[in-house]
Amino acid sequence: MQWAWTYDEKIASRVQAGVDVIRTLIEHLESSGWPPKHVFGVHMSMEEAVMNAIKHGNQRDESKQVHVIMKTNEESLYIKVTDQGDGFRPADVPDCTADENLEKTSGRGLLLMKNYMDSVQYNEKGNSVEMIKTKSN
Amino acid sequence: MSEFESITTSQIDDITIVSFNDHKVMDPARIQILGEELLSLVDPKDPSKILINLDNVRFLSSAAINKLIVIDKRLKSVGGSLKLCAVSSQVSEVFAITHLDSVFEICNSQRDALESFAG
Repeated sequence: MQWAWTYDEKIASRVQAGVDVIRTLIEHLESSGWPPKHVFGVHMSMEEAVMNAIKHGNQRDESKQVHVIMKTNEESLYIKVTDQGDGFRPADVPDCTADENLEKTSGRGLLLMKNYMDSVQYNEKGNSVEMIKTKSN
Repeated sequence: MSEFESITTSQIDDITIVSFNDHKVMDPARIQILGEELLSLVDPKDPSKILINLDNVRFLSSAAINKLIVIDKRLKSVGGSLKLCAVSSQVSEVFAITHLDSVFEICNSQRDALESFAG
């Protein structure tokens, strides 16, 4: 696939570095004419992916990095976020919509990503997630 | 008017009305302050009625939503109550996806919420 815009950087495991990456993507999508509804959903998804990588994957260890790849063209957005942690099994994440988990302050990220993105796929180790969003969807 | 950094408060009878100062609630440092300021509104000796008006909020990160969950739980634990109102369609969708719309009491408008408090 041909990409018109590519971002490929390894960022430090600092929350502010994550915020800066997310802001870069959101500003790019807004200036590229992506519908606000999609920008909102991508924002939620990217926030979850990047912050999970920094906080849970790399445990905020600043000696570790998060590799962020973002690509767009006229129709599609591709995101890959990889941390240097031990990974996790998405199937092991408790259902945040179950009554007993509703008021917990974690565990909503995966659900939000799956709802807002067209495709969400983790690698086998569980330390890398790829997401795709199509503008027309 | 209040002297908070991340929120603005006003009072109608025994109801504290809160609005967020940021349109996009996503900066971790600001969210930390937001959480502390929201919790400071809860007086265990005088169970509070708090209405958070989200009219000007266009984006709420998960971390910010967690602060709403925390204040809701704290208020319930002391016999107070929290309502949200004027939630944008996009933020409403987040609450629906995560089923938090069954945790929070959400009213369409501030007027509806105030009437709801009045019972």
